[in-house]
Amino acid sequence: MKIVVVGSFLLLNLVGFASAQELKKEFVDPIPQDSRSTAVKVKGGTMLFLAGHTASQPVPDADLGNFDAQFKATFDKIKTTLTKAGGTFDDIVSMSVFMTDLRYIPQFNKLTKELFKNGYPAVTFVEVSHLARPQSLIEIQPIAVIP
Amino acid sequence: MRDLVMRYLRCDLRRLAVFVSILLTSFAPPISAQEREMIIPVPQSAYSQAVKVKGGTLLFLSGVGPADEKGVLSAPGDFRGQVRAMWENMRRIMAKAGGSLDDIVTMTVYTTERRWGEIFTDMRKDVFKSGYPSSAFVEARKLRTPGAFLEIQAIAVLKE
Repeated sequence: MKIVVVGSFLLLNLVGFASAQELKKEFVDPIPQDSRSTAVKVKGGTMLFLAGHTASQPVPDADLGNFDAQFKATFDKIKTTLTKAGGTFDDIVSMSVFMTDLRYIPQFNKLTKELFKNGYPAVTFVEVSHLARPQSLIEIQPIAVIP
Repeated sequence: MRDLVMRYLRCDLRRLAVFVSILLTSFAPPISAQEREMIIPVPQSAYSQAVKVKGGTLLFLSGVGPADEKGVLSAPGDFRGQVRAMWENMRRIMAKAGGSLDDIVTMTVYTTERRWGEIFTDMRKDVFKSGYPSSAFVEARKLRTPGAFLEIQAIAVLKE
């Protein structure tokens, strides 16, 4: 009898550990007009650290100076990476956005609005003088947590 | 006889203690205590080379700068004033998320004024009470709020 009782409590402990792996996510102080959250709180899930993603070929220089085209190509590549890892755009919790001209921020915010359906990630914008390729306008380094 | 009774009681108490402790662990949160270790602290610049942490809840923050809640720049042209305003904003956000500044484990400091880096690290000594987070210090050409000298992108691990 005692063994059954102790066993059931041990089982309860194991269940507790298992449920701790389930993802809990909370968007702290979302700023919808900026398409970002002040912070994103997460517990559980699987972390995915992505490299800085940029627009690149197929056609060299086809995207020269075209922010919308580079934005789309960059997020297409991020999507390929996320899909390969078993995630989606909605799993992104944080993005470091490096741009050669921060005047594109309003355009960036407008375009990201369509990507995130369940809440916005935390976003940091930084203007840098150069990126890896001379024609690059934007590089995005995301962190995702996959359920 | 009295000895026998005592021995029996002690034995039973031991069993009870084991039972109660198992019971207690069942109700405690699965990851009850957070383990945290600062690796190679650099106190003169108020950062650690690494922070090792196990357990807790992750918090990813957007870049925090010296702008008020309406996005208006605090202390234009005043580096120290902007550093103070930025930490005040950070403190408010951490509280809102259910934590404190001491929960920050790493930060990337972007500044347009690298030459004032020492002022920044000096002021950071008073911010953290229980060990310094890891940190990188990078010069940026511009930041989100026009006129801002610095913006910090932080990751925290809350105790809960």
